Amino acid sequence: MQTTFTPEQLTDPGIQRSNEILRTCVHCGFCTATCPTYQVLGDELDSPRGRIYLIKDMLENERTPDEKTVKHIDRCLSCLACMSTCPSGVHYMHLVDHAREYIEQKYKRSWSDRALRWILAQILPYPTRFRLALLGAKAGRPFAFLMPDARLKAMLEMAPKTIPPVSRNDDPQTFTPEAPKKMRVTLMTGCAQKALNTDINDATIRLLRRLGAEVVVAEGAGCCGALTHHMGKTKESHATAAKNIKAWHKEMEGEGLDAIVINTSGCGTTVKDYGHMFRNEPLAKEAAAVAGIAKDISEVLIELLPKGAPEFKSGGTETLTVAYHAACSLQHGQQIKTYPKDLLKRAGFKVVEPADSHLCCGSAGTYNLMQPEISKQLKKRKVDTLEAKNPDIIAAGNIGCMMQIGGATEIPIMHTVELLDWATGGPQPPAMTAEGKRAPEVPILR
Amino acid sequence: MTPRTETELAEAIASAKAPLRIIGGGTRPIGMPVAGEVVSTSALSGVELYEPGALTIVAKAGTPIAEIETALDAENQRLAFEPMDHRGLLGTTGDPTIGGVVAANVSGPRRIQAGACRDHMLGVRFVDGAGTILKNGGRVMKNVTGYDLVKLLTGSYGTLGVLSEVSLKVLPKTDTQATLMIHGLDYPQAVKAMSAALGSPYEVSAAAHMPDMGQGAMTMLRIEGFEKSVAYRTDQLKAELAAFGEISVEADPVKSAKIWTASRDVAGFHKVEGDVWRISVKPTDGATLATKLGTDKLFMDWGGGLIWVVLPKGTDLRAKMNGTPGHATLMRADEPTRATLGTFHPELAPIAKISAGLRAKFDPRGILNPGLMA
Amino acid sequence: MEMPAPNATILSKKAKIVERLQSVLPKDAVIYDEAETRAYECDGLSAYRCPPLAAVLPASTEEVSAVLKICHEEGVPVVPRGSGTSLAGGALPTADSVILGVARLNDVIETDYENRVIKVQTGRTNLSVTGAVEEEDFFYAPDPSSQLACAIAGNIAMNSGGAHCLKYGVTTNNLLGVTLVMMDGTITELGGAHMDAGGLDLLGLICGSEGQLGVVTEATLRILRKPEGARPVLMGFDDNEVAGACVADIIKAGVLPVAIEFMDRPCIEATEAFAGAGYPMCEALLIVEVEGSDAEIDEQLGLIMQIARKHNPVELRESKSAEESAKIWLGRKSAFGAMGQINDYMCLDGTIPVSSLPYVLKRISEMSKDYGLDVANVFHAGDGNMHPLILFDANKPGDLELCEALGADILRLCVEVGGCLTGEHGVGIEKRDLMVDQFAPADLENQMAVKDVFDPQWLLNPAKVFPLEASEARRAMALAAE
Repeated sequence: MQTTFTPEQLTDPGIQRSNEILRTCVHCGFCTATCPTYQVLGDELDSPRGRIYLIKDMLENERTPDEKTVKHIDRCLSCLACMSTCPSGVHYMHLVDHAREYIEQKYKRSWSDRALRWILAQILPYPTRFRLALLGAKAGRPFAFLMPDARLKAMLEMAPKTIPPVSRNDDPQTFTPEAPKKMRVTLMTGCAQKALNTDINDATIRLLRRLGAEVVVAEGAGCCGALTHHMGKTKESHATAAKNIKAWHKEMEGEGLDAIVINTSGCGTTVKDYGHMFRNEPLAKEAAAVAGIAKDISEVLIELLPKGAPEFKSGGTETLTVAYHAACSLQHGQQIKTYPKDLLKRAGFKVVEPADSHLCCGSAGTYNLMQPEISKQLKKRKVDTLEAKNPDIIAAGNIGCMMQIGGATEIPIMHTVELLDWATGGPQPPAMTAEGKRAPEVPILR
Repeated sequence: MTPRTETELAEAIASAKAPLRIIGGGTRPIGMPVAGEVVSTSALSGVELYEPGALTIVAKAGTPIAEIETALDAENQRLAFEPMDHRGLLGTTGDPTIGGVVAANVSGPRRIQAGACRDHMLGVRFVDGAGTILKNGGRVMKNVTGYDLVKLLTGSYGTLGVLSEVSLKVLPKTDTQATLMIHGLDYPQAVKAMSAALGSPYEVSAAAHMPDMGQGAMTMLRIEGFEKSVAYRTDQLKAELAAFGEISVEADPVKSAKIWTASRDVAGFHKVEGDVWRISVKPTDGATLATKLGTDKLFMDWGGGLIWVVLPKGTDLRAKMNGTPGHATLMRADEPTRATLGTFHPELAPIAKISAGLRAKFDPRGILNPGLMA
Repeated sequence: MEMPAPNATILSKKAKIVERLQSVLPKDAVIYDEAETRAYECDGLSAYRCPPLAAVLPASTEEVSAVLKICHEEGVPVVPRGSGTSLAGGALPTADSVILGVARLNDVIETDYENRVIKVQTGRTNLSVTGAVEEEDFFYAPDPSSQLACAIAGNIAMNSGGAHCLKYGVTTNNLLGVTLVMMDGTITELGGAHMDAGGLDLLGLICGSEGQLGVVTEATLRILRKPEGARPVLMGFDDNEVAGACVADIIKAGVLPVAIEFMDRPCIEATEAFAGAGYPMCEALLIVEVEGSDAEIDEQLGLIMQIARKHNPVELRESKSAEESAKIWLGRKSAFGAMGQINDYMCLDGTIPVSSLPYVLKRISEMSKDYGLDVANVFHAGDGNMHPLILFDANKPGDLELCEALGADILRLCVEVGGCLTGEHGVGIEKRDLMVDQFAPADLENQMAVKDVFDPQWLLNPAKVFPLEASEARRAMALAAE
């Protein structure tokens, strides 16, 4: 596609990258077909191609973003289905990230918008603050109907009824392997996930140890920065990301690391992009090194659990149908499409997939809080298509999706690693044995 | 008048002072009778271009079908839409022409699989009512350049223009064929069986049903292709349709072909007295309508979507259809009956307005087969 | 590309027009802010752009009718738009026009397996029509390359084809009925679930009329049972002419493949670099696909390979499994993406008689040298539908004009050898001024007379299909008559 940036504009590395991306787009429109918001809204402006156009216009003319442009870009889930679909390899992710940063710098949002974003940025990346907020929200839930702002109401409704106690497994430490050592990895314990659900990290650690991995929880690592990154708050996101880069790089330089294991695919997509995020900063080399060994848990497990691995215990799993929900960050962001399904099949489960499995469930980080209307429609579609397959269990590789889907179905939902842990000798996932059926608006996590 | 060239044809039309009756071989007197001087295209004859490797043939409109078929036969190809020969049913004589086939959009049993005449049309040259020589389409298989007047002219019975040359897509002949016959089904069962066959992956190229006219009701399905493939698909289909009843197979390709020539030409009604109607409906509606008509002088083709029926003189079939979506053409009846009932199905008001508008543009003086499509 | 001067009267009453449109549509269905209309300024042919006066997104036939009625009364041109994937600029707006997008009309109205038809709203994408019936092993046959995204509305407007039309035909051969909204808002039906609409074949006329005769909101389409299987064979040749002869021999032999795809050397090189499908480096590559049961496929492929061997192929690779088939198709399916990686491109789609293939390829390669622009060829060889992709740099001044001139020369060549300007993309804006090379003035006049009947004021999809001079004269005449 033709662009009209001036040579001066192109000296800016951000513009330079965006120009490269825009030049590969041929405006064919394939991306519209798999874009969830276009499916719901049917407006070119709410499709990747429309957003690319809005971004191009804004950047070329150095326009102060207007309310409508911001509205359409805010509606993007960053699910990156468009990148899976694009025949020309347009890197939409870097383009929309650039646009969000530009908007954050040049656009003055309404008071309530700013407040909401500030609150989220101040709470979610910090597990302790988030835990306290969840406890507060739990208390506030009965009053949700009083909330004037739909988004604040959505926040209250999202809070699970049960908040797990802090897991000491998430503290910095080293877990020795329980089988002959095959690798040394660090587990990214995350931020929001460990406040909402401690079963996932517990299961991951058990499973990795059982399969011969030494697991380090590195001192100083925390939130990946995705949350603020997607709000365009570059300073904040880079600050938290830098901590991770330093912490993990120290481990790499020290005893060495074979992989940085991430079991929240939303975070994985961001960590794998650290090299690009820091390409013009002093930490560039370290960031690229860290990004180079960042792996989703399923990538590591596919190595550790070959077909017919002796660790798989027979019995129990064959009778269960697992509907695999592909998190967008995993299938589109990281292009990992088959590993989790392959692993579940190897473990003996009958694996099914919902129709339109490429479509986002509407969780998308904080999207369900910021865009509750669109999010709700996508949630309904996802839950309907999942339930149509009559599964016993729903499995996913991302806590955000688990919260979103779990809140709208009575079918228990759990992380893929919890099932694999169980199938290789670990305890049955708590969500499967959760006492009775909960009220459907509350995710059955534990 | 029998112009020998396209130019002569154009001159004849340009200088005409009164309505003209346009004919090719004169074997298909369908529609309202037209009073006017006869213009025959029979002298505009001959295959202009035939490229077997490109699956295309171009011929002047008056070329006899027999000549086209001979040419195609030599290269083991055919007109896949299997045009019907109307002579037996309509009691006419003469040589059917390719122009006549196109002007009446004549297709046969293979229409359900390969498409109608209009689906094989690539291009036309014609002379409009003002005497202007025009062309549309061409001789290549894929062409979306400009409006598709080729389709519009096909089946327009010479009311928009007089065809002078047509180009068509042709297809390879198949090696062999066989016919499956299911015995003793009533209309709804027959349509169910034909739907199952046409909805199978075994590429049924024709599906027709004959009620009990003395030899028992028979539902017929044709399979064409390479020998082994025909055998395989016949077996598969036989197994799949076993629940419908007794099934026999005519595996002799010559005998099988005879069945379909007879079906194509509706041979069963050639000597039957009464008005002949041709009805196009969706197959499941065909089953309902056939049952309601309660006659055994009825023949179903196209999986039940095409019904030929003989009714007592003057019967208003369209009233009996009672709004069933589709259309019915009175194909054979005396002039008073045609005048009373109309030959072509009445159109919705907005469509009738468009049709009239188009005729006024193509034939401003209203001299080309005026009133034929009423 | 020259666009008509916008009508100042229309521009001046934008506020009134928007207000009237808002009175019949939901709030978010009328787009008029300049920041937003820009996203509707072009379709898949981004070389030509012009933001519309407004864009509307009706969600029912009645809303479409209401919009058209208002535009008819106000004398505002309307540009119907499916998914905006046209490569011919078929949905390019004018500054004084309203874009009528059908994306929100995307429901399946009825699936009927017994009668083998599906009725859909036309904003539904081509592939999702198949998606709606594939659980029962049925499919909708026409498969344009953009089938993932393109709408049935656009397919009908352009009479879209695809790789498999050698066997299954194009849109017009698979369309049984439509709900049509005329420019004055009148809603009517053509055809239905039965075969062959009665009276004049207006359905055949509407299909391929590029949105200039009416807006199609619902369509009844034929669906077919999926074949038991399909497998391709890949063959490479050191000479275009030999590859062309091989295609003709296969067709003459009586085998009817579902697809015969052809790629030339520049195209093979580009797709190999992008997708790495393992194609041989040669002058011409053919992918021939047949369908049926395994045994039937074996028999047909055997025959095809026997013919191919007589032409001394440099490579002959028969697919034995789904993976191998996917590998063979991978490069072909990545061809356009691969070109996009190299540069901007313009994709033409003139059709030629298959017999003139070697001559046309030779001439294209000479023209490419003369113009100094690379051209890659990938096309449906069974039906002679070429797809020359001309590579150019949209950011380099003068390159687009050079590309246009080369494109025009290639299309004139197609006409000269007995072919046509466009086989499946449509005339749109791109080829309208070349129509005089294919049609005599009287032929064009005849086609324009058809539009006079459906849309006397010439409001629907202005400045397309016919040379601008001719269509503008028509509009002026209509205005004067009022």
